[in-house]
Amino acid sequence: MPELTYLQAISDGLREEMRADESVFCLGEDVGAFGGAFKITEGFIDEFGPERVWDTPLAESGIIGTAVGAAVEGLRPVCEMQFADFISCGFDQLVNVAAKLHYRQGLSVPVTVRLPSGGGFSGGPFHSQNPEAWFLQSPGLKVVAPATAEDAKGLIAAAIRDPNPVLYMEHKHLYRRAKGEVRDGRYETPIGKARLARQGDDLTVIAYGAMVLTALEATEDLDGASIEVLDLRSLYPYDREAVLDSVRKTSKVVLVQEATRSCGVAAEMAALIAEEAFENLDGPVLRVTAPDVPIPFSPPLERAVLPQIEDVRKACHELLAY
Amino acid sequence: MPQMGVSIAEGTVVEWKKQPGDTVEADEPLLEISTDKAESELPAPAAGRLAEVLVEAGETVDVGTVLARIEAGAQDGGETSAATSGDGAAERDDDNDGGSSPVTPVVRRMAEEHDLDLAQIEGSGRRGRVTKKDVLAYLRERGEAGAEGTAVGAPAGEPKLHMESPYRETPAEAARPAAEQPAPDGRELSVMRKRIAEHMVRSVRTAAHCTTIVEADLSRIEAARGRGSYLPFVARATIDALREHPTLNATFEDELLNVQDEVHLGIAVSLGEQGLVVPVIRNAHELSHEGLATRIEDLAQRARSKRLSPDELRGGTFTITNPGAFGAVLATPIINQPQVAILDLESVVKRPVVVTDADGNDSVAIRPMAYLCMSWDHRVLDGVLAAQFLSTLKRRIEAWPPSHRWDSRGGTVPGL
Amino acid sequence: MIAPTNAIWGMYAKRGLREWRGTNYECRFAGISEEIGVERVATSAARTEAAGEAGHFEAAPLTADDRRALLRFMLLMRTTEERALSLYQQGKVPGSFYDGRGQEATAVGPAFALGPRDRACILHRDLGAHFVRGVTPDRVLAQMMGRAGGVTGGKDANMHFAERRLGCVQMVSMLPDMALVACGLAVAFQMRRERRAAMTWFGDGATANGQWHEAMNIAGIRRLPVVFVLENNQWAYSTPNELEFAVDPVERAPAYGFPGVKVDGNDVEAVFQAAAAACARARAGEGPTLIEAETMRMHGHGAHDDMRYVPQEMFERWQARDPIPRYEELLAGEGISVQEIRANVKEEVDRATEWALDQPMPDPSDATSGVFADADPELGDAEAPWSRWKAADA
Repeated sequence: MPELTYLQAISDGLREEMRADESVFCLGEDVGAFGGAFKITEGFIDEFGPERVWDTPLAESGIIGTAVGAAVEGLRPVCEMQFADFISCGFDQLVNVAAKLHYRQGLSVPVTVRLPSGGGFSGGPFHSQNPEAWFLQSPGLKVVAPATAEDAKGLIAAAIRDPNPVLYMEHKHLYRRAKGEVRDGRYETPIGKARLARQGDDLTVIAYGAMVLTALEATEDLDGASIEVLDLRSLYPYDREAVLDSVRKTSKVVLVQEATRSCGVAAEMAALIAEEAFENLDGPVLRVTAPDVPIPFSPPLERAVLPQIEDVRKACHELLAY
Repeated sequence: MPQMGVSIAEGTVVEWKKQPGDTVEADEPLLEISTDKAESELPAPAAGRLAEVLVEAGETVDVGTVLARIEAGAQDGGETSAATSGDGAAERDDDNDGGSSPVTPVVRRMAEEHDLDLAQIEGSGRRGRVTKKDVLAYLRERGEAGAEGTAVGAPAGEPKLHMESPYRETPAEAARPAAEQPAPDGRELSVMRKRIAEHMVRSVRTAAHCTTIVEADLSRIEAARGRGSYLPFVARATIDALREHPTLNATFEDELLNVQDEVHLGIAVSLGEQGLVVPVIRNAHELSHEGLATRIEDLAQRARSKRLSPDELRGGTFTITNPGAFGAVLATPIINQPQVAILDLESVVKRPVVVTDADGNDSVAIRPMAYLCMSWDHRVLDGVLAAQFLSTLKRRIEAWPPSHRWDSRGGTVPGL
Repeated sequence: MIAPTNAIWGMYAKRGLREWRGTNYECRFAGISEEIGVERVATSAARTEAAGEAGHFEAAPLTADDRRALLRFMLLMRTTEERALSLYQQGKVPGSFYDGRGQEATAVGPAFALGPRDRACILHRDLGAHFVRGVTPDRVLAQMMGRAGGVTGGKDANMHFAERRLGCVQMVSMLPDMALVACGLAVAFQMRRERRAAMTWFGDGATANGQWHEAMNIAGIRRLPVVFVLENNQWAYSTPNELEFAVDPVERAPAYGFPGVKVDGNDVEAVFQAAAAACARARAGEGPTLIEAETMRMHGHGAHDDMRYVPQEMFERWQARDPIPRYEELLAGEGISVQEIRANVKEEVDRATEWALDQPMPDPSDATSGVFADADPELGDAEAPWSRWKAADA
C-alpha cells in the first residue's frame, strides 16, 4: 500500500470520487488554475476541465448558495473555503439554507464543504481558527475531522456520497505531518464512528484532528501508564458508544481540542459523559483546550494559546494521580 | 494533636489505647500524649470504629496534626472524621467535611455492588482516596471477578481497517451491560480469553499437529548474552534456519500453501492471567539479534500495556513462544493459524551432558541445555523436514555467533 | 464572440485548456457592451412587439385558454389569501401572516412562462406562482394552519413552503438567499447542457443585501440560465425605495453583464412576456436577465402591520391599478367570461378550506424527524399550464 501524506490522501480521495461520478465537481477560490491554496486540487483542472473545477469569485455565500442549488438538482458540489475562518462569510447559506432544507421540505442537499482549519504557523486570528463548534449548534449539518491519512481519504469520500451537507475539517497542521498507508481505489470511512488510536486501561484521552497526534505523542510514555486514545473522527454525529464504552473501561477522561474552550466539542463530550457515564467516573472530566482568545500571531503567543504536548501530559498526570 | 497550652507547639504520642479496627465510644480514652507541660489522656471525640492511626507511638508532631481517623457510624463506607480534640486546631487536610476524600461515583457504585467497606481498603489516590484500581485490586485479592467488564484484548483474526466502535464485537456482547456479574457458580471467560480459546480449538481442529523436539546446548549463547535473554539469539538462529528450510516459513489457508521469503516473526507475549498475544516483528530477517532484542522488548512492553496496533498482530509467518524460566522443560505448543509451525523454547537448565572433544574422547560436562519443541502441521510437512529444520536450528545455536555476515537485506550465506 | 475580459480565461486559452463550449451555445464572457441595456416597457403590447423582434427565440403567444388560466391563477391567489387572512383573524393560523395582495400579476405572470423542467424559488408574496406550478389551495391553507396535511407538515410557517415534487425549492427568511440557490440550479443545467431555466423572486429590499450582489455577479460571470424577478412593491416593510438604494436596481444589471427589463408589474401579460423572453434567452444560452416588475404591496408587511407609513394618495393610486380588475376588463373585452372563472375559484377555495380545517395537527413525535436525509434529492417536474408546453416538446 502506498504511503501518502494527509494532504495527498484528501487529494486522492477527491480525485477518485470525481473520476467515479461526473456529477461531483469542485468550486472555490483559486481551486482551478492555481490548484488550490494548499494544492489539494493541483492538476485537477487539467484532468476534469474548468467547469468541474470552478474558480469562483471571492464570494463565500455565493459558493455555498450556488452549491446548494446545484446539489438539489442532482450534482455533488465540493466547496472549498480557502481557510475555515472564511466560512463565517457563508454562514447564512450553510446554516439557514443547506442545513434546514431537508427538515422543512424533504429535499436533501448533498453538499461537501472543505475547511482547512487550525493553527500553529503564525497565521494569526483569521487563518488559524477551528470553528467546528459553530456548526454543532446547527441541526442538519454533519461535521467530520480526520486525523490520519487513511481517514482523510475515506472521510472525504463519505462526505461526498452523503446526501447531507457535510463540513470536512481538514487540519492544516496535518497536511504533511500525518502520513500513513492509504489503500488504492475508492473507500469510505463511516461517518459517526470513532477510531481507537491506542488501546489502554488507565485513562482515556479523547481528541480529534491534529490533537490526536498531540495526544498520542504526549501519552506514549507516561510513567508506564496505559493510556487509551480515542480519535473521534466525526464531530456530528459523534460516536457516543465508543466514548461511553471507553469511559466505562478506564473511568478517567481527558478531552483535548485545539479549538477555544467554551462550548466546544470537549464541552459536549464532558456533558455526555457526566449524563450517561457518571457512575463510571473515578475522577473529574478534564479538558485541554485553547483559552477563549483569538489565536495570536507571534510564535511565543501562539504556542502559549494552542494546546501543547506538555499540557496534555500535565492533565493526564493530574488525573492519574487523583 | 491538641493545643494543650498557649505556648505549646507540639506533642508526642506516648501510647495508643486502641488499635485500628477497635470500636470506640465517645469520650473513651483513645491515646496518651506528652507535651512540655504534662502527660494527658485524649478521649475519642466520637463513637465509632478506629479506622486508622496516622501518628505512631513515640512520634512527635505539630499541634493540629491529624492523629487518627474514626469511622463514625457503621453504614456507608468512606465517612471518616479526624480524631483531633476540638480546640479549633487547624487540620492538615483541606477538605471541608472533616477531612474525607471524595468517593467517586464508580467507587461508590462498586462498593454498593460488592457490599464493601471502603474503610477496609487502602487508598492510593490523592489524599488517601480509595480509587477504582484500589477496589479492583481488593476484589481480586478476595478472589472476586472485577465488576467492570474486563479490558478487551487483541482483536481477533482480521482486524478492520477502520476500528469502528471497538468494544462492540458481537451483538450479543453489545447487549451485556458494562457491569455484569459473572454466574454465581462459575466464572465466565473474559473476551480475550474467549478469543484465545476459539483460536486454539480451531487450530487443533484444522492442523494435523505433531511435535518434534531437539535438545540444544546454549553455552555459546550463554557466553554472548550477558544479562539479556536467550530469546533474541534463538530467534536469530531460527530465522537463519528458516531461510535454509523455507517450507516452514509459510502459511496454509484455503488449501493454499504460501511459502514466503520474508520472515515475519511472531513472538508470544504472556499477559498473565488475562491471556497472551502474539505481536509480529515484520521483516525480522533484516534484524540482527540485537535488533530483535530491542523489538521484542518494545512489543512485549506495549503488549502488556495494550498499546499494540492491529497491524502488529497479523501477518506472521512463524511464531516463537518462550514461556520463561519457570522450569518447565517440554511442551507441545499449538500452532498459530494460519502458520504451519510454532517453536517453543523451553527453560534453559544446566544439565550434565556428554561432550566429545576433537580427538574423539568423551567426557561429561555441565552445559545449559534447552529443549526446542516445535509443533508442525503434518498436512503440509513431514517428520523428516521438521527434524531437518530443528537439526539446522540446533547447529546454529550451538555454533553461535553465526560465521556468515548477514546484510541488511537479511541475506545469509549458510556458512556452517 | 466578445473577447474574454476575464484574465483567468485568457490564461486558460494560453495554456490550451479546453474552452468551455456547449452544443447549443457558446461560452461568452462579456465586458460592458452597448448592446446590453435596460429596456423600459410601458405596455404589454409594446413588450410583445419587442419580444417578437428580439430574434431567434419565439414570441410568446397566448391563447384564450391561457388568458383564462392567467386570470384564474390570480383569482386563486387573491381568494386563498383572503380566506387565509380570515382564518388568521379567527385564530386558526398560528404565528404571523403574510400575503401578496396587489402583486398577483408579478406572481403569476413569470411563473406562467416556466416549462415543466424549469425550476423555481418562489417567495412569500408569490402564492400565485405555486398555483401555476401545480400546488392546490387545500394544501396551502393546511400549511398556513400548521396542519399535518400542509405542504411542510407543520415544519415551517406561512409562505415558507414549496413542493419539491413540482420542481420548487423552499424559501428561507433571509433574503435574497434563494437568488444564489437559483444560480446553483442554473449551474447544474449549464453543466449538463440542458435547455432549462431557473427562476427566482425577490423584493426591492433584498437588492441591498450582499448576497444579491454575489448572485448577480456569479450569474453574469458564467452567463447562467437564470431569471431574476425583482418585485419592486415600493416598500421593504416600512422602508421606501429611496432609503433602500441610490440607483434603481434594474440599472445595475448591465453592470453585471446582462440586460435589465423594467415592466408594469400589475399587467400580468407584460410581466409574462418579459419572463417568457428571459426564459427563452436563458434556455438559448444567452445568460441571465433581471426583470424589475413595478407593483405595490396593498397590505402591510404582515397582518400585524397597519401600513401607517404609506401615503394615502399613493395607496389610492395603486389601488386603481389593481391587476385583477384590469385583467378582467381586458378579458371581457376579448369576449372571455369572467364570472364563471370567479365562481369556480370561489368553489375551489371553499372546498379547500373545508378540507384543510379537517386536517389534524401534526404528531409531536414528528418534531425531531427529518433532520438528516438518507437518500439523494428528488426534484420533480411541474405542471406548466401554458399552452405552448402542451404543443411543443419542452
